Amino acid sequence: MRTSTGTQSRELPEQRVGRLAARLRNQKLWDSLLIFLPPLLVATYLAIVLYNFAWIAPLTFYLLSGAMLGVGLLAVVVRIRRLIPSVPVAARLVDEKTSAKDRFLTLATIDVALWPGALVERLRNEAAALLERIDLRREFPYRVKRSFYWSFLFSLIAATLFHLSVPLIGSTRNQAPAYDTLNEVAAKMAKRPPLSALAHELSTLAMKLQDPKLAEQEKQTLIHKVLEQVETQQRKEHEKESRALLGEASSALQGLEQQSAQGQKEDTEKGDGGAQSKPSQQGQGEGKQSQGDGDSKGELNAERSKDMQQGQKAQNTPQEQGKEKNQQSQGDRKDNQPAPSNKSDQDTGKELTGKTPDGAQERLGRSRSEEIPQGAPPAERFYKPGEEGKEGVKGARYVTVQLPEELAADTKGEGSVSKPSKETRAFPKTPVSNAPLPAHVPEAPMEKQQLPLEYRGIIR
Amino acid sequence: MEPEKFQLVFKRLEAEVRKVIVGHDDVIRQVLIAFFAGGHVLLEGVPGLGKTLLVKSLSHVLGVSFKRIQFTPDLMPSDIVGTEVLTEASGRREFQFKKGPIFAHVVLADEINRATPKTQSAVLEAMEEKQVTVFGESHALASPFIVLATQNPIELEGTYPLPEAQLDRFFFKLMVAPPSPVELREILKRTTGAETGDAGKVLPDDGGKLIGQMQQLLRQVLIAPPIEDYVVRIVYATQPNLMNGNGATSPVKQYLRFGSSPRGAQAVILGAKGNALADGRIHVSYEDVAKVIYPALRHRIILNFQAEAENVSTDEIVAEVVKQVPRA
Repeated sequence: MRTSTGTQSRELPEQRVGRLAARLRNQKLWDSLLIFLPPLLVATYLAIVLYNFAWIAPLTFYLLSGAMLGVGLLAVVVRIRRLIPSVPVAARLVDEKTSAKDRFLTLATIDVALWPGALVERLRNEAAALLERIDLRREFPYRVKRSFYWSFLFSLIAATLFHLSVPLIGSTRNQAPAYDTLNEVAAKMAKRPPLSALAHELSTLAMKLQDPKLAEQEKQTLIHKVLEQVETQQRKEHEKESRALLGEASSALQGLEQQSAQGQKEDTEKGDGGAQSKPSQQGQGEGKQSQGDGDSKGELNAERSKDMQQGQKAQNTPQEQGKEKNQQSQGDRKDNQPAPSNKSDQDTGKELTGKTPDGAQERLGRSRSEEIPQGAPPAERFYKPGEEGKEGVKGARYVTVQLPEELAADTKGEGSVSKPSKETRAFPKTPVSNAPLPAHVPEAPMEKQQLPLEYRGIIR
Repeated sequence: MEPEKFQLVFKRLEAEVRKVIVGHDDVIRQVLIAFFAGGHVLLEGVPGLGKTLLVKSLSHVLGVSFKRIQFTPDLMPSDIVGTEVLTEASGRREFQFKKGPIFAHVVLADEINRATPKTQSAVLEAMEEKQVTVFGESHALASPFIVLATQNPIELEGTYPLPEAQLDRFFFKLMVAPPSPVELREILKRTTGAETGDAGKVLPDDGGKLIGQMQQLLRQVLIAPPIEDYVVRIVYATQPNLMNGNGATSPVKQYLRFGSSPRGAQAVILGAKGNALADGRIHVSYEDVAKVIYPALRHRIILNFQAEAENVSTDEIVAEVVKQVPRA
């Protein structure tokens, strides 16, 4: 300590002030860097994610990264310029710490040439005698400011929110850049002889996909086929750069496949909305979904009724699939059939019941399997009047009957109310009759004797 | 001259005056600072507080000539500066300039606000130019020269308040407050007992040279540019009309008619330098500025009607300005 103070005391007071100013400047620089680093990292993460998902082109990625770095540096510079301590401020800090009564401030700021040299030298000696009172490292240590913790916290929240919202962004993004990416990757792959065939496939696919007449389902099939080829090639490839290119192609294809699935879903939703907007057509049978195929209508309804009563999925038979015009059913079927032309009807039926071959589901993409429900019970509108569905018997009308207690006990097969039942649950005191009323038939003859509604179920 | 010698002389002067004057330490110190800074002082206080005694004691300890002028409404300028009188010597008649009481090192202008503006303005040239002109002929005043004027804040009937231009020529305006009970007891002890205090001479009879050296040293005291900037900002902040009042604080805009002149800034700087030397320092600190800013500015800022109606003092305005102007 004695050595260090001895070394320090040899320096002029003005130099000590200058050293403190530099130290404070560095501290402000670190503060600024620490404040802006977390947002910069988050922004970089954002750019990398966008790039990895092939949502932005490489050039855009580089430009974006450069711009973010530039903005970050600019922010640091602007902040430092505003907060950087001047020499007078540093001198005042030294004065405060040493109780020098502005000696350091005077020495650090006056123009020595304009003042009597003897007085300046005397002041310098006075200030030098006070230098031992201050140790810059001890008096001005660097501490991480609270603003850094806030910046870190908000950046973490922003990164988390972005990470969670990536699938949503993917579902709403534009389709055009994916084609561009595909073409770019194909162009790169074309330069490598082992991948040239695959590059041709990709280019062809990109051209086909831009055909507006091509149905979404067919698009998916094509994409999936090429995706399989790419993945097979990727497994075989040993060269690093080729593998990276194939990875890019795979990402682009997956993105396209996801878009296609999203487009198909949107189309389906539009169709449902149309049917709901015309409820009168639902009452006539299957509405628009079965229009134009009156021969199959009865069979289809019978099959559905059977499946629904067994609590199974509402899937069509292979024969009906050929006739079925329902877009929803077609979508479900083709989603589960990567190569329908190469497989038998039996296999197709097997897949339709949910027994998808291993790996096929994975290739279809995660979000796609979430978006298109598989094996869900049929909608309420497919039930016939009188059939029992999720929400009870369709078209049934109920009445609530309040019976005397002993009668209520007999109805439930119990001796008395106080007798404990086999199951320990408590029955309600007011029994409820769930017996459906007969369907309303306008042509039916009137009943001979009008019975009160309350006793109809009991007498029958 | 060595700063230590300045401090020694200054302390001795203070000590000698305090033998006569009880209390008013700040007033004594600031009168001495103004003297060595080459300025004039306006002392304001009710009668009987020892203003005249202070001035007499000061001139005595300094060892310089002293004259007292009692200002009255019928006092003429010639009564102050002097006049040409016809004299006859060796058979020839000629006009000879007879010096007035202004020709002294220390001039006490007692109750200066009782004289007419014409007479007050006669002192104006003497205070600023340190010379007087009679019948077209200029006569230099003694050096060092200081006017210590007193005025009474009560009994304002029949008085002529000093014009702003003349007020501005006073380096400091010092408020002489009534003594505290302890000080009053000491005053009684000194003035009603058998032994009375008497101030001794500190400077020799030819002390003018020494005073000149001390005045020269005072101007060499180092001052940092940031402290000068601080003074400038304070003076600028008293201007209610400059730059649409952007630099002014809200009380200034509300209560002031005019702000301080550049003489105010000069007085602050020189007063701070004098205070630093009196404390044995050769550089000005912010503390020095704070100590002299009130006497230097309080008579240079002019209150408006609203301030007078609300009984707002100039010291309150200065305090507000000092509070709102940052140091660095």
